[in-house]
Amino acid sequence: MEFPRYHRDIVGDLMDGKFILASDPKFIELKNNQQFYERFFKESFKYELELKSDYGYILSYETNEQLSRDICIFFAILCYELDKDGKNFLEELQYAEFELEQLDNYFDNSPYSDLIKSNKQLQDSESRKQFLNTLGRRNIIEKSSEKKFTFTQAYKVFVDFANDFAKGKLGESDEPMADSDNGARIIEEV
Amino acid sequence: MKAEPKTILNFLHNYFEPIKDLFDTQTREGFIKKERLQEILKTHQQAIEQQLNEYKILKKVGDDYEIRGVYFNFFEFVFNEFRPLLPETIEKYAHSIGELFKKIREGINKDRNILMQRISDLYGEIKDFSESVEKNTLRLLVETRELKSNVDKIDYQEKVRKASFWIDYYISPLNQILDVNHSQSITNRLFDISNYVNIRRLNFDDEMVRQQFEKTYNFLVQTNDDLLRQSKILTNELLPLIERIRTENMILTGWIEFLKKPHKVQVPRVFKLFRDYPYSNDMYYNAKEYMEQFAGDEVVIIDEQDVQANMWLFNKERYRELMMSKLPMNNFFDWAGSTLKSEYKTVDTDKFFALTTLLFEEGIMLEFDPEADKKVVRTTQMTLRVPPIKVLKYGIS
Repeated sequence: MEFPRYHRDIVGDLMDGKFILASDPKFIELKNNQQFYERFFKESFKYELELKSDYGYILSYETNEQLSRDICIFFAILCYELDKDGKNFLEELQYAEFELEQLDNYFDNSPYSDLIKSNKQLQDSESRKQFLNTLGRRNIIEKSSEKKFTFTQAYKVFVDFANDFAKGKLGESDEPMADSDNGARIIEEV
Repeated sequence: MKAEPKTILNFLHNYFEPIKDLFDTQTREGFIKKERLQEILKTHQQAIEQQLNEYKILKKVGDDYEIRGVYFNFFEFVFNEFRPLLPETIEKYAHSIGELFKKIREGINKDRNILMQRISDLYGEIKDFSESVEKNTLRLLVETRELKSNVDKIDYQEKVRKASFWIDYYISPLNQILDVNHSQSITNRLFDISNYVNIRRLNFDDEMVRQQFEKTYNFLVQTNDDLLRQSKILTNELLPLIERIRTENMILTGWIEFLKKPHKVQVPRVFKLFRDYPYSNDMYYNAKEYMEQFAGDEVVIIDEQDVQANMWLFNKERYRELMMSKLPMNNFFDWAGSTLKSEYKTVDTDKFFALTTLLFEEGIMLEFDPEADKKVVRTTQMTLRVPPIKVLKYGIS
């Protein structure tokens, strides 16, 4: 049986929770063999393959909710601060190179300091450095040096979430969001 | 006007700064208050009120002043600062152009002089229309780019308000005026006129009139090109630019709403790593990432006495035998809940979790469907959603 080129690396990367980006030669193989990989992940692990125009990733029936929430809080605060600084945050996320010092400046002086302090991944400069390493391993950022990084197209997953949330929010009451998460978990504390 | 043209131009040159201030005031406020005029002249230490009147640059309106239209238009052109016209103001040209065209067609074989005058007026109206559109596009481009670069650092709500204002009142209606796909657009009418004029410039008997049709035709070809270019600026640059501001602000609204209760919102799904090999390159970091989730710095105070008083010892062997006697069972958690309820009247969380450890005992087989509907179990402290787990005896069941 013939397998697509880079098959081992494609499966390895996706199973490591990485986003495969359009700039990566593996992406073309993934895109060209979309149907095969959709079936492959579904049949082998019951995972879903999400393939967009410029990135791809897989989803398990269980989600790393904590990490996703931390990433959302990170993007939310960063976008808020960039906008406050008079910058077009979408352009910044897409094209700009960020420095750790600049990031520290935004987070240390943010009005969301309570939320930041209570978040283990974002509470101080050292934690944020570790957090960026996590984002780097998942291909959500690309490090150009120890202190500099750029965002990859994977940022769109979270920005789209904010967009959808705003759209749903505008026509909605204050009801808590429906929980469609799979797996056993605590949904509410009495 | 008594003054020499050169004298007036020299005057404008010599007193450029106060005149620019007067122009800015009128652009901003619509007219120039008497006090404001004195203030500007005092700031620049120039007593030129008399000349401003004499050269008919200013016109008195009650006690206040305004710059005469001809000068105002000239300054707009020189400063490249155009007041945006409302599209309904521009649309008036549709009427005048349409009316003149109708009259030209009806009177094509009547009085030659009137016909020539009408063609000349049509030319003038088209020119004014085209200039108005160009001025508006230029102005809108400046406004939109300023909004995008946000040099004034205005907050996002104000930015959305301004973006919506420009779209709703200026850009969309102007786009409609220029849209070639819209049958009633002025651009489409100009195409019709152009076709008519093209035929007449070739077959009209009178040479003078033919020449005038020729001139109008050439001008129309150029105008149609210009309008197409303006329309492209609107659709390719202005609308996406301003649409992007709207999108950006929609995203920001989402983030701000999310930050109000970040722990109660369902976030996007992110792949969960299930296992790692000790020799994997990322083992160290993945283990760290996993452990960091549980690394708490909060001070935890344990009330020893309380713990002692409520101590409950889990008799694993007893419950194991109980479970084995009930095998096969369709839902382990149902059994665990009902067992505790029958023994203690309530389902205590700690006891429930203690019973859960029975699932790891030897001698049993588990069947679990990850896609099956979750069941709700209410303990004294929590509401748990648990998957149905089938328990069978190992071997023949």
